[in-house]
Amino acid sequence: MTYVIVEPCIGVKDKGCIEVCPMDCIHGTDDDKMVYINPEDCIDCGGCIPACPVGAIFAEGEVPEKWQHFTQVNADYFNGKR
Amino acid sequence: MLAAKQRNPRSYRIVGPQRQIDERETPHPRVDRGELGERLRSWRNTRAGQDPFRRIFGVGGGDPKNCLQLIMRQLPEGAVNPDRTAVSDPAGMARNIKEVARFLGADVVGITHLDQAYVYSHRARDKAAMGQKAGDPIHLPYRYAICMGFASDYYKFLTNNSRISDADYGLGNNHMIAPTFMLAAYIREMGYPARAHDYARGEVNPIPLAVNAGLGELGRHGMLIHEEYGSRIHLSVVTTDLPLAVDEPVDIGVTEVCKYCMKCARTCPSYSIPFGGKEVYNGVEKYRINVDTCYKYRLAGRGQWTNCVICVSSCCYNKPKAWWHTLAVWSIKRTPIPLRPLLIKPLLWIDDLFWGKRPWRHMKWLDYDNAPVPVTCDIPGCQVKHRDLQHKQLHRPTQAAGGSVS
Repeated sequence: MTYVIVEPCIGVKDKGCIEVCPMDCIHGTDDDKMVYINPEDCIDCGGCIPACPVGAIFAEGEVPEKWQHFTQVNADYFNGKR
Repeated sequence: MLAAKQRNPRSYRIVGPQRQIDERETPHPRVDRGELGERLRSWRNTRAGQDPFRRIFGVGGGDPKNCLQLIMRQLPEGAVNPDRTAVSDPAGMARNIKEVARFLGADVVGITHLDQAYVYSHRARDKAAMGQKAGDPIHLPYRYAICMGFASDYYKFLTNNSRISDADYGLGNNHMIAPTFMLAAYIREMGYPARAHDYARGEVNPIPLAVNAGLGELGRHGMLIHEEYGSRIHLSVVTTDLPLAVDEPVDIGVTEVCKYCMKCARTCPSYSIPFGGKEVYNGVEKYRINVDTCYKYRLAGRGQWTNCVICVSSCCYNKPKAWWHTLAVWSIKRTPIPLRPLLIKPLLWIDDLFWGKRPWRHMKWLDYDNAPVPVTCDIPGCQVKHRDLQHKQLHRPTQAAGGSVS
């Protein structure tokens, strides 16, 4: 399992989640619309959830229907980057 | 069997039937089977041993013949001497056995009845020398459990997490093996059956037995807290039928301190330690940690460390031997329970003031240096500012762990 960042992060990119992530598994560039969780590194601790001011982080199995595709969006961001 | 009614421990409470735990359900076997991910399994078998200390003390791709615990794991158990020493005074024998345990190297020792609830139901590993295979049911029909604690070095643990704290942690695991083996052998040579349970091989969960034996109390972080050493002690057990007087659980104030302190929960990087109250699991009411996230956090070592000991080092009972620490614990113990918060709250404030909210110390030892190193992100183009572990924010009670609890 992993945690997933979804649509509300777009344009916000508060990055508070990065401060608290013990695995440093949240990444992104200034050009990206949002930041992304690397599903291979995430240990499911959930520490990022309360750090997000816009409620954009969900456990993989609890992502609302309308944002389900963000699970793949997060994973795809890291394809070819490791 | 000695049937004297024992005082109940305050730090955990039995509220329902307990099933025996299968040793194969414990974290290391689960990781070895890949149940916590292939990446963690692979790491445990290879990269965990990047340092020679790790290879001689534990796992990670070294020669098994260079590792004491792996050698001792395969040793057969000696015979019981047919010339049995008569025991007319179990209390006197208990005093003698404790003195023998201390002579052999234990820092603390206590005795309790062997509660079968804390004996594993099935073994997780083969032991060819004893004809035992993984999956075999465990029968451990002994009456007593002699619990021993071996203290680690306070200052080396303060380098958490580093190759220095790794080395001391590994030494503690291996340090206990010889004294535990020798105590079991000593009892067998007195004519009574005895079995050693240590880091090399164990058929019992030592923590509840140690609590029952009066070595300390169960903390919020799921480990034993000893009044002098905190949680930086490694536990081993010898189970036996040698007639012994048992000890009683102690009250060193952990129940009240853990309620207000929460320093382990604030500093646990992986949010594995709860801020909330106790939960009931397997018939026991206690604080319940998330063992999966705790274990997976080892992947964060970046080649700089293997074992996380942050909660052990953070615990306010973890202090060097000093009169003021003895006085503080003595004061808590002597204070009536309802009044303890009045004493504990200022003590915790003093603890944070003098020892830090996140106890840590820079140390150079051999060629090791635990100074924080800049974090280089290995994701191309990533521009977020990752920080070293030592500079991560401390958690607040509102930041409760969100992972599934195991």
